[in-house]
Amino acid sequence: MGFGVALTPFNLMMAVAGVMVGMLIGALPGVGPPSGVALLLPLTFGMDPTSGIIMLAALYAGTMYGGTITSVLINTPGESASVVTCLDGYQMALQGRAGPALGIAAFGSFIAGTVGVVLLMLVSPLLARWALSFGPPETFALMLVGLTTVTLLAGDDALKGYVSMVLGLMLAMVGYDIISGDARYGFGIPEMMDGVDFLPVAIGLFGLGEVLAGAEEKGAGQVKTRFRLREVFPSAADWMSSRWAIVRGTVLGFLVGMLPGAGPTVASFLAYTVEKKVSRHPEQFGKGAIEGVASPESANNAGATAAMVPMLTLGIPGSATTAIMLGGLMMWGLRPGPMLFEKNPQFVWGLIASQYIANVMLLILSTLCIPLFVRALRIPFGILMPLIVIFCVTGAYSLKNSVWDVGQMLVFGILGYFMKKLGYSPAALVLALVLGPLAERALRQSLIISDAGVGIFFMRPISGVLMALAILAIAVPVFKWGQTLFFSNRKA
Amino acid sequence: MQRADRITGAVLLVFAVGFALGGVTHYPYWVESGPGSGFLPAWLGGVMAALALLMLIRRPRAADAEVDWMPRGAGARRLIVVLAATVFYVAALKVLGMILASALYLAFIMRYLDRHAWWLTVAIALATALGNWLLFVHWLKVPFPAGPFGF
Repeated sequence: MGFGVALTPFNLMMAVAGVMVGMLIGALPGVGPPSGVALLLPLTFGMDPTSGIIMLAALYAGTMYGGTITSVLINTPGESASVVTCLDGYQMALQGRAGPALGIAAFGSFIAGTVGVVLLMLVSPLLARWALSFGPPETFALMLVGLTTVTLLAGDDALKGYVSMVLGLMLAMVGYDIISGDARYGFGIPEMMDGVDFLPVAIGLFGLGEVLAGAEEKGAGQVKTRFRLREVFPSAADWMSSRWAIVRGTVLGFLVGMLPGAGPTVASFLAYTVEKKVSRHPEQFGKGAIEGVASPESANNAGATAAMVPMLTLGIPGSATTAIMLGGLMMWGLRPGPMLFEKNPQFVWGLIASQYIANVMLLILSTLCIPLFVRALRIPFGILMPLIVIFCVTGAYSLKNSVWDVGQMLVFGILGYFMKKLGYSPAALVLALVLGPLAERALRQSLIISDAGVGIFFMRPISGVLMALAILAIAVPVFKWGQTLFFSNRKA
Repeated sequence: MQRADRITGAVLLVFAVGFALGGVTHYPYWVESGPGSGFLPAWLGGVMAALALLMLIRRPRAADAEVDWMPRGAGARRLIVVLAATVFYVAALKVLGMILASALYLAFIMRYLDRHAWWLTVAIALATALGNWLLFVHWLKVPFPAGPFGF
């Protein structure tokens, strides 16, 4: 029944538009998947939620591929999940094999994406059924796992990751409290009492913040490569050497992508490492091995699909991008979580079917339109930059037709600039802001039903295991820090 | 970057303490049924204060010593001009209207950053205004703030 929803002309058009815009956004250095989803989210408010999420999901898939184009051609990853692709992809381009590199990435992404959707379809209902038995303690423990792992993986300085995350939770406290109705930290300003909306924050941090950082450096590398369509198709030899890399990348990518907090970036790094380990000629990695492109590119697409699993079934996003999508779902009045599959089957299956379609579109567009996207990369920064800012402003405004939100976006844009420069994690902040109210309610409900205080989180089996995982995620950086404290001057 | 981290740490510490104190004085920490609306703010403020303290007292990381995060020279000037233009743009929304303010902002940045030819600047500014109107006003029916000319 999903295909009936996804194949209506309008939804089909949205999927095409999503993939195209996504590829474009992914290809622009500095503007990654979270910015793309945040910027386009306001456009979807006028639509019905199913069309909206179809467009966003297609966009997400598109950005995953778009980032590859710049990684291969100018050694500049468009987004973090394509960082590893630079290693061998750019080397291939230097050897005149940019076409096969982009081609194998497109086919690998297609295969991984399609298999990923099948797995998504099989796993999600099971997980949702299991999650129906979750009470507030399990929900809270799960959110804690998501928050701590995102923080752990956010950057090389864990302390700054935690500062970003706690700041996000503090911002989530602003506005009416769901349980008591108190207007917290409102300072008598009506707009503040409504709380800090995540969308202006996300647009500011990811859109405006990135653009400001770019204004200072002025412009990224320009693409000079030209190449023809026929060169995009990998040869039989390319296929032979990368088929298992694609399979391994897909499986690994899906498994890793499903973990809250891990997502496509981690998946791509892991896939590359594994591929190098199992390879019969590891010395060629980093010098233009096609497996070094095929495997991480498959993994990041499978991971991007898998990241939808915890978002849809548990209501817990695993990454900044899915956090923004989750915020979108809540704005449309849907409640992500186990009940979504029973209450809005049309929405869920429409989304899943549209993922199939998005993958087909992605394959067609990525092979046919690569020359076009390469040309788009030549848009001068002086034109691109103000256009992105205008999109940030109109996007923040159209959420509630409020200039206040635009101001809020501006403030967070400036904050985002400093966070980027000083090594803080905007992803952890946004995730905490989205999860904050849900986590607070789960925490307080748990403590209300508990006879043993915080003991309730450790005495129930599922939440006990999850809490142990969360504590482990906190302990790793603390342990590392302790090491540097006692063994000074050694590399941390 | 180490100095920046100390300053951030100090600012965060003051903010965290204020946040926690404000939380416990204005909102109930514990009510009859369980934790009240001041419960989590107090804890978050406490945790943030601890993190900020850590930031102040920890041994500076060797990796941070070389990072020169502050833009200098031409880069700093570009950043300040672009930022100021963006602030003006947002402030002008209610006065000039969304469409006019956006087009002017675009034209200014295009001239300032890349020194594009005037004809190209005007053409792209007009295209942006039209695209903005078509997409948001005409199609999505977003009530944009209007300017002196009624759009």
